[in-house]
Amino acid sequence: MSPALASTPTTPAQWPEAVDLTTRPVALRTCDLTLGFGSRTVLQGVNLGFPKGTVTALIGPTGSGKTTLLRSLNRMNDKVPKHWHQGDVLLDGQSIFAPGVQLMALRRRVGMVFQRPNPFPMSIADNVLAGVKAHRIASRQHHKAIVKARLSEVGLLDAVSDRLGSSPFTLSGGQQQLLCLARALAVGPDVLLLDEPTSSLDPISTEHIESLLRALVPALTIVIVTHNLAQARRVADQTAFFYQGRLVEAAPTARLFEEPSEPETARYVSGRMG
Amino acid sequence: MPKAQRIPMARQPSAVATAKGQVQPGPKWAGRAVATAARNLARSGWLLRGATGAAALVPVVALAGILAVLAERAWPAIVYNGLGFFTHVAWDPGSSYGNPVRTGGALHQAGATFGALPLILGTLGSSAIAIVVAVPVSVGAALVVVEKLPPRMANVLGLFLEVLAGIPSVVFGLWGALSFGPLIARDLAPLVARHVPDLPVLNFFRGSTGNGEGLLTAGLVLAVMVVPIVASTTRDLLRQVPALPKEGARALGLSDWEVSRLVSLPWARSGIIGASLLGLARALGETMAVAMVSGAFLGANPSNIYLPFTTIAATIVSQLDSAFTDGTGFYVRALAEAALVLAVITLVANVAARLLVRKAGGVALPVGRGI
Repeated sequence: MSPALASTPTTPAQWPEAVDLTTRPVALRTCDLTLGFGSRTVLQGVNLGFPKGTVTALIGPTGSGKTTLLRSLNRMNDKVPKHWHQGDVLLDGQSIFAPGVQLMALRRRVGMVFQRPNPFPMSIADNVLAGVKAHRIASRQHHKAIVKARLSEVGLLDAVSDRLGSSPFTLSGGQQQLLCLARALAVGPDVLLLDEPTSSLDPISTEHIESLLRALVPALTIVIVTHNLAQARRVADQTAFFYQGRLVEAAPTARLFEEPSEPETARYVSGRMG
Repeated sequence: MPKAQRIPMARQPSAVATAKGQVQPGPKWAGRAVATAARNLARSGWLLRGATGAAALVPVVALAGILAVLAERAWPAIVYNGLGFFTHVAWDPGSSYGNPVRTGGALHQAGATFGALPLILGTLGSSAIAIVVAVPVSVGAALVVVEKLPPRMANVLGLFLEVLAGIPSVVFGLWGALSFGPLIARDLAPLVARHVPDLPVLNFFRGSTGNGEGLLTAGLVLAVMVVPIVASTTRDLLRQVPALPKEGARALGLSDWEVSRLVSLPWARSGIIGASLLGLARALGETMAVAMVSGAFLGANPSNIYLPFTTIAATIVSQLDSAFTDGTGFYVRALAEAALVLAVITLVANVAARLLVRKAGGVALPVGRGI
């Protein structure tokens, strides 16, 4: 881990500098998105923009719909039985639900990292290359370079450079999650969705991944679901608070935590509701 | 139970504790029965230990005993046939009209020759056809059932697989002999045989297509019998593949086919190899169905894949009656030698299965699941 990544911002002064979110173009936007499964409505009329090149944290109690929203941003809910939706999600102004949209191409642009590391049953190098090969992004002679570049980008190369051909299941949980991140980055997404990516990891791996996320913007637009409010403060430019399937409030992170405009937000971020 | 009634009240559980830790009031007799059963079990511990120990020995004794009896019966034939048993094609129990001859202490009919090469090749060949056809079909079917079909249809198809696995082999044999074999001989085989390129290496796939009893028919009937075994095992294995890596692959923009090829199948690979070898063992030993569609052609190798042949198992079952009429008893000894060879082939297949499955646990397989 590089020394720059090892220091964690712990005081407000070190938190990400306020980015003027209003002047940035929006990479992804939900328009009055209402969705559910069967007779259950999980999200109700969500209007939220994700400014290009920023980190947005989705926070809220369990069952508030934040993960469901995250998963609908690259249509991972499509396969869930009895899934339905109203409203729309726009990626660079284009609906992701439009009939002509290729699901696989959409997911190449909007990548995802999950709550628990999920390496594929193949070598470490092949894990990084899985998406590259499937989308035919690069010819064979470039594969080795891609593996090294992506693994070093996530800070994993030194640990695994002598065993690129061996199973990823011998790696630690944190290393596996970094591998999954490298795999998601290897297809060159515009947007990266993260579903509580550090909830199963130790503090050092967590810190490493958080620093990494800050290093990935503004090249990428990042949306992260987290239960860890301190994590949201550390990594997010914008934070959106969800409660019972509704977007209660979205604001620049510092403002949402220090001067929330809604009483529910205030109760949640101060720890009186969880 | 007068005895049980004399147990002091304190030792009688009048309530039964459930797994959840709640205590449910039970009828008085139930409490007494539990106490009695527990007491009896404790007293008869040695009996239980002895019985289970003996049961554990059954497989060992059965395998060793069967091999020993076969070897003992076959020994004179092994000596008489020598290596020729594996290299000769002629199969002739000898003339029962002449006087028996004694060679090296073993009495046999004059002119007896036992070359089992066609039997061995027929066994391996028909099983190879069965596996080559059945494994891709089974894996494909299992993938469709697990990944594509709605649960209700998957269950119906699963039911069909299980019913198919339970049909007696004689039924498959009759179907093969009456319907499937003639269909192949009349329609499929001539078509294929005509279009196989005229190359010497492909001569085994060209030429006369016979009447439907033959190597190809037997291999395909065996394939139908093997599919349910491999498919239902593979289906169960694929259902156990964790959802998380599959979802990760989908999130990466991989197609359903790529998710199956890159995640599901590698995850289940060692199990699928094991299931295939299970199917192979079934095909190697299958007797009745093969005997009914093989054409029971002894004494030579078939000149092409469509023509009659025989296997070790089919020969034993079809020749045992006439072997018993051999006054010298030597024909039975020759069949015992054939049975011994079959047992060794299946044992080798089994050991190979285990080694392969162990070897497949290398690079790609999860050592510790997930995290």
